Amino acid sequence: MQSQSRTERKPDNRLQYVLCGVWILSYFAARLVLKAMGEPAAEWSRLAVALLPLVPFVLFLMTFIRSIRKADELERKVHLEALAIAFPLGLVLIMILALVQVAIPLNTDTWSYRHVWPFFFFFWLFGLTVARQRYQ
Amino acid sequence: MKNDLRVLRAERNWSQGELSDRLGVSRQTVNAIETGRYDPSLPLAFDIARLFARSIEDIFHPDPPVATDGA
Repeated sequence: MQSQSRTERKPDNRLQYVLCGVWILSYFAARLVLKAMGEPAAEWSRLAVALLPLVPFVLFLMTFIRSIRKADELERKVHLEALAIAFPLGLVLIMILALVQVAIPLNTDTWSYRHVWPFFFFFWLFGLTVARQRYQ
Repeated sequence: MKNDLRVLRAERNWSQGELSDRLGVSRQTVNAIETGRYDPSLPLAFDIARLFARSIEDIFHPDPPVATDGA
């Protein structure tokens, strides 16, 4: 049987952290700039600013996926279980919001896509914590 | 599944970190296998067996089958 190293024991995640930081900064910077630009600004320029954080985010996701591929088998299992917890939680949140929206009008200033997506991140962190706990 | 990994490692005076280096996995993985919380994949089990010059059956001992009310 072919023997091969299953993991990069101590992967260098610095680039990943840097890209994550750049993404978070660019997200809030884009929101500030959009607020400062106001309505008179051209639609295309507002759209360009709004989509700018996507660049570091996609790069961050690429490094994240690469780090999962390089992780050893237990770490990959932990990440799979984290997703198995986070995904249904995300579905429940969306379903609740959809049903509540049918029942009562929701204030889009407090409940919109920009308020919902961070929950997915926290669901994933929760899943990761639970999954890690299982194998400690 | 139970295993003798901790005993075999202790016989060689290896730390979990040292064993994980030899196997190419993380220390957490070695710890999870030793404590029985994680069953290794077949390739990893083969690598462990090869490292200790034993057969997989010598190191890993499956749990006895759960008795069922046979009908």
